[in-house]
Amino acid sequence: MSFEIKEIVESAGTNLPNLFDFSSFGVLWKEGSLLYLYEEESCPLSFTQEVVKNMTGVLAILGQEPIHADGVTLQVVKKKLRPKQMMMDPKAALKSHLTLPLAAEGEIFGCISLNSDQPNAFDAQDLQFFSVIGYQMAATLKHFQRFSSVKTLAIYDTLTNLYNRRYFEERLGSETQKSFYGGTSLSLVMVDIDHFKEVNDTFGHTEGDKVLHEIAALLKASVRKKDTVARYGGEEFILILPEAGLEESSMIADRIRRLVEQTAFQVGQAQINLTVSLGISNFPSHRATSKEELVKMADQALYEAKRGGRNRVCIFDFTSR
Amino acid sequence: MKEDRGGKWSSDLVLDLYSDLLMEIWEIVSALIGEAILGLLFALAIQKLGEKYSFLISLKVSEEGICLDGVRDDCRNMAPIEIHRGFQSLITHLFQLFSALAEGVISRELFPKVFPRVREAERIISQK
Repeated sequence: MSFEIKEIVESAGTNLPNLFDFSSFGVLWKEGSLLYLYEEESCPLSFTQEVVKNMTGVLAILGQEPIHADGVTLQVVKKKLRPKQMMMDPKAALKSHLTLPLAAEGEIFGCISLNSDQPNAFDAQDLQFFSVIGYQMAATLKHFQRFSSVKTLAIYDTLTNLYNRRYFEERLGSETQKSFYGGTSLSLVMVDIDHFKEVNDTFGHTEGDKVLHEIAALLKASVRKKDTVARYGGEEFILILPEAGLEESSMIADRIRRLVEQTAFQVGQAQINLTVSLGISNFPSHRATSKEELVKMADQALYEAKRGGRNRVCIFDFTSR
Repeated sequence: MKEDRGGKWSSDLVLDLYSDLLMEIWEIVSALIGEAILGLLFALAIQKLGEKYSFLISLKVSEEGICLDGVRDDCRNMAPIEIHRGFQSLITHLFQLFSALAEGVISRELFPKVFPRVREAERIISQK
């Protein structure tokens, strides 16, 4: 969502100087306390701080839960809005503003603001124009917000907050294409929680779900930024490790194995220890010719890990083909 | 003129006066910031003051405008001065919201038209 707001703010910021004389234009997005500011190049920091304070103050007056000015995440785009001889004074203060709520369907989800270091910089006609812009922005942002939540539902597993299988398939498609045609390495790691059925049978599914959630968090914390972690189904997870050879993927897989082994999971009133089994497949080492084959190889390796006694990492055995 | 036997101005007259005043505020400000945002501001002000002046909760505000029908029923047995105070607080709070949003821009448009009417309401209320 933040990307779309940024795009809209930048587009508005580019066009607004044709309509108004202002020092900065801001969009404060309540969710996540994000403030996007499009401001004159010479705008001093003290002015920016005043704008932040004013916008958060207005949002509080509008009956919204107060956002602390210090807690606002600022994204500032500096642009030359004035000729050199009209640069802002380094001690310039906020002298006038127009601030309007961003609202749709009776819900306020932020506010937009035009700010100036000049007193009485805006008149009734400016307000009329600005409110029309505000309506358009609110409608567009609401649309993006809806789209973004649909997108979230479509790609995330709601229980673990990991990517879902559908997204994994999609992602694997593009990663295998990149590797198969570019000749770069690509590894898959399939992870399965050992004896997970016992957790569900002993402590119930609610507690079992908590364990899944915790292990998902451990997986996410163990991989690199460019890796994809997805829930493959039940207690099974899958990792896409682009540009990772067998050595690096084994290292990551073993890190996960050790981390799970060393973690005490709180299940109801009890603390339990769990282990995971992991299977690795790799392109080009295992000469997979399709993404399906690469998954099958990781699955086969996982099966070997289970058969070998669990709590271990197995690499697909190419000779067993 | 709606005057009761004791010479006091009736609740209906005060309501008529504020009804006209609120309609005027609606007309002027909605032209500046649009009906949806103005509706939100009215709703905020009513929510804020509803505890003290419960009859204000019956004031219905939508994008189509303001409807005082419910208020009239609620105010039937209320002293005109109480009705006046409630509406006066509502208008004051709206002015505060307007100036928080646009400093003097809305007030500048509104003040010349609205202020004399508020004074008029005060004058009528204070009369016997």
